Amino acid sequence: MSRQDHIREFAAKALTEGRVDYFIGWKQGHNASEVVPAFVKEAAAVDQLVWNELCHHNLVTFLKRNMPDPAGAKIGVCVKGCDSRTLVALLQEELIDRDRLYVVGVPCDGIIDRRRLEKEFADEIVAVSCSDGRVSVATRKGNEKEFAKEEVLLDACTRCRYPNAVYADDVAGPPVPEPDRDGAKPDWSDVAGYESLSDDEKQATLEKVYSACVRCFACIHVCPVCVCWDKCVNRSRQPELVEQKVGTKQKLLFQMIHMFHVAGRCPSCGACDRACPVEIPLYLLHRKMNKEIYDMFGFEPGTKLDEKPVFQLFDVNDRFGD
Amino acid sequence: MAIKYLKADALPALLEALAKNARVVAPFKRDGVVQFEPWQSGKDVELDVLLAKQSPKEWVFPQCETYLKFGYRMEEPAQGATAGTATGAEGEAIGGEGAAAVAAGAEPAIPHETVEVEALNEAPAQVIFGLRPCDARGFVQMDQVFGGYGGFYFDPLYNSRRAVTTLLAVTCRDPRSTCFCTALGGCPAGQEGVDALFTQVEGGFVVEPLTEKGEAVVGTAGGDLGDATEAQAAEANAVKAEATGKVDVPFALEGIRDHLHDNIDDPGWHDLCMRCISCGTCTYVCPNCYCFSINDELVESEGERYRVWDNCFNPLYTEETSGHNPRAQKSNRFRNRFSHKFWYYPDKYDSLLCTGCGRCIMHCPTRIDIREVLRIMGAAPGAAAERAATTAVTPAATGAPTGAPAPTDGKEA
Repeated sequence: MSRQDHIREFAAKALTEGRVDYFIGWKQGHNASEVVPAFVKEAAAVDQLVWNELCHHNLVTFLKRNMPDPAGAKIGVCVKGCDSRTLVALLQEELIDRDRLYVVGVPCDGIIDRRRLEKEFADEIVAVSCSDGRVSVATRKGNEKEFAKEEVLLDACTRCRYPNAVYADDVAGPPVPEPDRDGAKPDWSDVAGYESLSDDEKQATLEKVYSACVRCFACIHVCPVCVCWDKCVNRSRQPELVEQKVGTKQKLLFQMIHMFHVAGRCPSCGACDRACPVEIPLYLLHRKMNKEIYDMFGFEPGTKLDEKPVFQLFDVNDRFGD
Repeated sequence: MAIKYLKADALPALLEALAKNARVVAPFKRDGVVQFEPWQSGKDVELDVLLAKQSPKEWVFPQCETYLKFGYRMEEPAQGATAGTATGAEGEAIGGEGAAAVAAGAEPAIPHETVEVEALNEAPAQVIFGLRPCDARGFVQMDQVFGGYGGFYFDPLYNSRRAVTTLLAVTCRDPRSTCFCTALGGCPAGQEGVDALFTQVEGGFVVEPLTEKGEAVVGTAGGDLGDATEAQAAEANAVKAEATGKVDVPFALEGIRDHLHDNIDDPGWHDLCMRCISCGTCTYVCPNCYCFSINDELVESEGERYRVWDNCFNPLYTEETSGHNPRAQKSNRFRNRFSHKFWYYPDKYDSLLCTGCGRCIMHCPTRIDIREVLRIMGAAPGAAAERAATTAVTPAATGAPTGAPAPTDGKEA
């Protein structure tokens, strides 16, 4: 039985038994190269649910404040390993009522970076499929190309330490092999390039990447652990703490606030990076923040349900920088 | 007007010539992302990627523009002074505050505060090259709201830029699966709002000047721009016809306006908005979402007033001073975007507010599909639920066209 079949079965059962009001999974988007979040209300409609290498959306986004509709809805949700860490981060902070959730963990072999594929073609990608570690891509004009899966994975997936959900009520099929987390520390080599820069160069880099920002706020809205919603300091007018003006200074400030506010809660799921319409490398910058948290506190956000979030604790042995 | 031909390798020279008298803006690829940017010698215009991430809207309607600067001053009474001399003529014309300061200035012999106001409106001549006909049509649709339709309102900032902007559109050779211009009365070689239309043919472009501004461009190009041969003109026509045939017609426009009105309380809105994350991406990539908010920024005694894009998905967009928000729910805000474009804007301005470029579909973080929304919520009441069920099984745009191009009146053609 495939993971997809497991998901459909769990969804149908939960809907039939009334355990949930609706079930959130993934379904095909407007063509075979897109997957979008699916909200299923009836057991008869579970056949639209899919599981494949395009299911990048972190559905925990739809559990956070103001998202459940109606507000007190009982919700079923699919989570990959990285998604489950954002869910655990919310549960640790008691921002979601666990009793209203039904969580299906989906063991994950890695998700394809569709943007990386887009860079390979001038025309539009209309179909992506994956089998035996090969990814086949077809475009609207009929170009076809094949890639090795490991070459087109999301950056987050190439260094994944939690391929299985860390918290779930049911699991869609057998777990995938876990990396040796105790033996190997996280691989932070992706942020080494940024860290090797001088302070001035870092500033210049940040200004360059953030100058493209259009302040659409997709990054913070899609972020599962970014929960301030309409009370976000970046939009508050009373008091007006961050200028609404769209200059590099303001963009940088806005993004820095986001980054610091989710520090210690963000497991670098990369949802912000994929949502950004102008492709700011948000993932990388959040990774850098996570490395700081790890180096200072040895803390990996959202990995243990009974753990307190790092910034809600005080330990005399904490090391605040050098 | 005579149809011209421009060799592909003569394009940089044309842009260079245009750049002598105007800012030239065109799509360029930087770090893999295509955006409209000012042209500089040596940069290659990106025409292989059909659509820049954002429309060129911001070059006429900037995301953020400061239009007033003001400063407060303590004025010591000068001998014989009876009025606030520091207040300029423009300030008096614009500001109630300025006028008040003048009145206060009439009080003799007391130190008093005055305000200086300076109006800003920069509108350098510019040429936008490489936009698509849908982008150009976006300006025409937006003109209605800024341009004083029926003497309603005339926006000096927008119009001063619009008046000095020349639009050189390039025919879409390879429409995307997300394009639906033909359903809205447009086409991959549409001429609405276009000053000169460039169509890529073998070795270069067939150039059709369509307005006086377009003719001026032809004049600028001089010898590089020769007359097109009949074969070249025929090839351009073939390119246009082929491209038009490639655009899906995902819905019939007829009736949508009325049905959106009828379906305002339909629970279908809730279902459709479930995957919306309430960000503003769709509105910021849109060629004619025009909503903005106005802010004053004051640092000590110096301040500025600017307007900045806002979007109807922003929870604060409709929040009133009292704290009441008439569109408190995500579904209310979600409904607004589509209703605005296809119901109340047409009602008020006799024009759609959508050109079918499909950017909102491409860049939505959860790929919400405006075509799907219109198919479901633009259907007759009662039929909505039925269509929703169909759509759930058959994803949009993979199937055959569901309707013929809608009849269009003169304004929309």
